[in-house]
Amino acid sequence: MRGPQDLGGLPAGLVDPELHEHIPTHWEKRIDAMMTLLFDPKRRLARVDESRRMQEALGEDYHKYPYYERWLLAISWLMLEKGVYTQTELDEKKKEVRKRIEEERSGS
Amino acid sequence: MNENTHDHTHATHTHDGKPIQNDDRPPIEAETLETAVRELLIDKGVISAEEIHREIEMKDGKGPELGAKIVARAWVDEEFKTRLLTDGDSAVLDFGIDMRPTELCVVENTDEVHNMVVCTLCSCYPRAILGIPPAWYKRRDYRARAVREPRSILSEFGTVIPEHKQVRVHDSNADLRYLVLPQRPAGTENLNEEELAELVSRDSMIGVSDIPS
Amino acid sequence: MDRRFKPGDKVRVIQRSQPGHVRTPMYVRGKAGVIERVVGSFPNPETLAYGQSGLPYKILYRVNFMQKELWDDYEGKPDDSLEIEIYEHWLEAN
Repeated sequence: MRGPQDLGGLPAGLVDPELHEHIPTHWEKRIDAMMTLLFDPKRRLARVDESRRMQEALGEDYHKYPYYERWLLAISWLMLEKGVYTQTELDEKKKEVRKRIEEERSGS
Repeated sequence: MNENTHDHTHATHTHDGKPIQNDDRPPIEAETLETAVRELLIDKGVISAEEIHREIEMKDGKGPELGAKIVARAWVDEEFKTRLLTDGDSAVLDFGIDMRPTELCVVENTDEVHNMVVCTLCSCYPRAILGIPPAWYKRRDYRARAVREPRSILSEFGTVIPEHKQVRVHDSNADLRYLVLPQRPAGTENLNEEELAELVSRDSMIGVSDIPS
Repeated sequence: MDRRFKPGDKVRVIQRSQPGHVRTPMYVRGKAGVIERVVGSFPNPETLAYGQSGLPYKILYRVNFMQKELWDDYEGKPDDSLEIEIYEHWLEAN
């Protein structure tokens, strides 16, 4: 029962240090910051171990998502699990946000 | 979008040394989820926009330069080096770095041993000292192969370790965070601490490269 | 806390399947190594991952393995080794 995160020793491609260098985007930094804040001693809404458990629960989908999208999914599910918001609240918020971003993207 | 197509090549700094702001946008589904979660957390008073902003600024200020200063200090100050190797947490407090809840483990490269660091299970990294890990450190290719064929990985970074030297891989899988103390290059006897720090690359502190003489 | 092992002790990582969140990767399970040092006691990540306290704390060791013990087809040099952190409940005397 090997989890999708347990990669040590599996076949994989070459590392290209130039091509695989990447400056974090502003969007990625926001996720990084949110994660730190939610886990900090002041809030302690969840622990990094819980975030790992959530990412591992992706199963084979683990490999479909880039790193920060996995983090984001973990945060969104953990906050649901902790009752910070409900699924209905999240769905409604996403609908509203999606509309806003679509308008913004088509305008730019 | 999969992991293999997500990374882009970018120069990390402009010519005047300022970090480049990378405003690339993610797929719309991802941006929607991030914005929705963030706005809900702000609406509910869990976190504030100001806190996110401050946290990003703080992280932008943490990078390999800090690690380089620590390495240079260890090169010029034997007492500090001993402390760094035996009680890393207390040594880096001199630089205002708090490793908690993890512990720092500094591993020294010598004529006999070359150390390199990987986290096969996720992407554990001494963020308090080196900042956000490079993209390759978080990818399957590095995580899967670094423990099994470290010398091949090293050669992909252009690093050749002599046959007589042991390569020791550290899988950062639990409560320690690893910093490699690279060897001080020959011919640097006349450099001061500050000049030495400029020689120390991020990759040398992860152990995928050496510092050229 | 009582420590079952000390530096230099020969140990083997227990070969077992365990559901849930675990920090002992597959590639070291069942493999023989040597205790490099005792790190200390830490909350158990296997229960922290489910929002629990992580108590009782577990003793954590750094264990050194020869690469040729880990991989039959290891292509590097015979002295090459690997170190990893293993919690006490994943170790047995060897």
